[in-house]
Amino acid sequence: MAESMEGVVTEVEQPNTENVEEKTVSEIRSNFALLERAVAQFDTRFTLRALRSISSLRKKLTDRVLCTVIVVTYSAKNPTARLLIQAVGMEAEDLKAVADQHKDAVQALKNSTKEPLPEVDVYIGILLQVYLYDQQDYEEGAEFSTQLVDRIRELNRRTLDSLAAKAYFYFSLFHEELDPKPPSKQSQVITIRGKLLAALRSAVLRKDLDTQASVTTLLLRNYLSTADITQADLLVAQTQFPENAPNNQVARYLYYLGRIRAIQLSYTDAHEHLISATRKAPSNSVAAGFYQASMKLLIVVELLMGDIPERELFSQPRLERTLEPYFRLVQAVRAGDLPSFLKIVQNSAKAFHRDGTYTLILRLRQNVIKTGIRVLSLSYSRISLRDICLRLGLESEESAEYIVAKAIRDGVIEASIDHEKGFMQTKQAGDIYATREPGEAFHERIRACLTLHDECVKAMRYPMNQHRLELKNAQEARERERELAKEIQEGDLDDDDAAGDFDGL
Amino acid sequence: MAERELADLLKQLHKTLQSKQYQQAGSILSRAKIALLGLNALIPTESTPSKHLQLARETLELGAVISIRLQDPVSFTRYFQQLQPFYALPEDKLPRKGSNASKITGLYLLLLLSDGDYAGFHTLLETLEVAAAQAGRGLEDDQFIQYPIRLEQALMEGSYDQVWRQTKGSNAPSEEFALFSDVLIGTIRKEIASCSEKAYPSIPISDAKSLLFLESEGSVVNFAKESGWVVKDGRIYFPQEDGEFASKDILVTSDQVIENTLGYARELETIV
Repeated sequence: MAESMEGVVTEVEQPNTENVEEKTVSEIRSNFALLERAVAQFDTRFTLRALRSISSLRKKLTDRVLCTVIVVTYSAKNPTARLLIQAVGMEAEDLKAVADQHKDAVQALKNSTKEPLPEVDVYIGILLQVYLYDQQDYEEGAEFSTQLVDRIRELNRRTLDSLAAKAYFYFSLFHEELDPKPPSKQSQVITIRGKLLAALRSAVLRKDLDTQASVTTLLLRNYLSTADITQADLLVAQTQFPENAPNNQVARYLYYLGRIRAIQLSYTDAHEHLISATRKAPSNSVAAGFYQASMKLLIVVELLMGDIPERELFSQPRLERTLEPYFRLVQAVRAGDLPSFLKIVQNSAKAFHRDGTYTLILRLRQNVIKTGIRVLSLSYSRISLRDICLRLGLESEESAEYIVAKAIRDGVIEASIDHEKGFMQTKQAGDIYATREPGEAFHERIRACLTLHDECVKAMRYPMNQHRLELKNAQEARERERELAKEIQEGDLDDDDAAGDFDGL
Repeated sequence: MAERELADLLKQLHKTLQSKQYQQAGSILSRAKIALLGLNALIPTESTPSKHLQLARETLELGAVISIRLQDPVSFTRYFQQLQPFYALPEDKLPRKGSNASKITGLYLLLLLSDGDYAGFHTLLETLEVAAAQAGRGLEDDQFIQYPIRLEQALMEGSYDQVWRQTKGSNAPSEEFALFSDVLIGTIRKEIASCSEKAYPSIPISDAKSLLFLESEGSVVNFAKESGWVVKDGRIYFPQEDGEFASKDILVTSDQVIENTLGYARELETIV
């Protein structure tokens, strides 16, 4: 009785889920065609397109879909297929059901002698990694990823490069999730460093920009996760990040670089890197986490440099909530209010620890004092050291005198101290427009605009060998162009899907 | 065999440390290190037994302390680096008990501080902070680590009187820390001098004495001479620098302006 009841229920639901499944399977298989074309024409654009669709496929991946794809792609005796099926971890009975369902396709495969390309193997491998990651099956995923990247290394095909970058990405992600998690010194991430470094070395030797960029950022992330900042710094010093790396990788790299520099107190460098990182961050909602993280760091670095971030920054919808403690922090620094600064640090210590900005924020103490002094020097032409001490909540008048003297030397304020009478006298500020400072600022801006123009010119893309094709066959060339246009259009529409590491064109 | 020998050597080392005969310690240390090599425990490996690891850590820590006593920063840094893999070992392999990790690390932080290597100081601090968060205890409770942190904070914000008070003998958490005081006071004196030049037009010598933490007025006069200050009628006059505005006058730099404008013209040409 119960069985038949179940049967009834499934009968109602089945067409629906099956439809989705079938559609997903055919979508995946159409990507294989793209991969084949990429290999035949030696053009990575097709590979990138196949990779781009992963994010939309991601939500529809199930063990059944994956098994179906494997069953209809490989002949039954293929060793790769065996390995892949094993990794999916499906029950033997269900597997059989899947195979039965696609009997025709399986039969057809038996007759054909064509073996699938290694690119297809790896592509399915990446889909599997995504699936396992979403299932939170980290152990299995880590093991499978290790096999996958080893195989990619063995194959050594240039058409695999962009796929390899993705495979390494998940490889490292899985290991991060294994216990004990970083920053423990026994964490698994430390053991994969050798493998990543080897991958980086061969990527550089083979001029494989995608993998090089991806593995460099992974290594930096790896080092920073266990707070090995010196090693990360050395890696940056010893390697060269590819200039033409995918945008998202550049953003990541700049973020990590900004972090390292901020810890090392070179705030100007850190600021520059973080500004670029936040600007290069994808603007869609998928990468909001990255944007938030880099924004938080940027705000702290700006404060450390003595600047106050703009108010409107905090009212952006995707930043508003998570930046709340930072907003209050900025307010305290802006007012030069030491007691309330200390209170905020104490209250939000947990959030700051989580964001990894706590130690940086502790350094802000001196900035709060400096701002306080600056505010005082702007509002009073003469003020006694005793009053300064009271207003800033300092411990003693002596401290106040030293602090003010330091502020004068560092150029925070223009003033002098009268030691015997114990007061600070503000100097009259000169007319800044009589100096060359405005001219310098103007020059700086013009230079920035010119560099922007140069970069735009450099960033334009010229399809390879286009002119030769045109000579050979004008008709074919036109068709290609039409396709290109369509792709660009799709690329725009697909913006939401571009959560992956690769942007379209 | 080698283990017994090492234990003996360590006992001797403790003795020399107590009797403050650091010169002898050097030769004992090198014998101890050879013994460690014999045990294959100078660098921790998977198979090194926990007992040997403890001995190795103790030897290296003693070495570090002795180098500090001998005021040999280079060898201290070397010992500190050698100790790092030991400190990274998990608790069940090498128990924290009996370890001087925080003391040695605190000393190293202080060394970085007295060298003025603030980047190194903060890099190490970040690592410590993460490790402490991992272990579930704050750095705040660790007096050896807090001491250099407090000093750094005071130095950065400019409360030099705080630094002065902290470095005075009894405030340091242990004898070894006090050894850095002279260097640090030298540093702050230089800082104060450069601040005073800018902040005061002139100052009485007696005030300068307390300001610079100097012993007598005579040493103030000497210090002033070294810094190139003018001493007249019981006051110190600091050299006034003038014309900061003048150097930035637009007319003086007209050639710079011309050069820039020509540059723009050239760039525009390439764009159009």
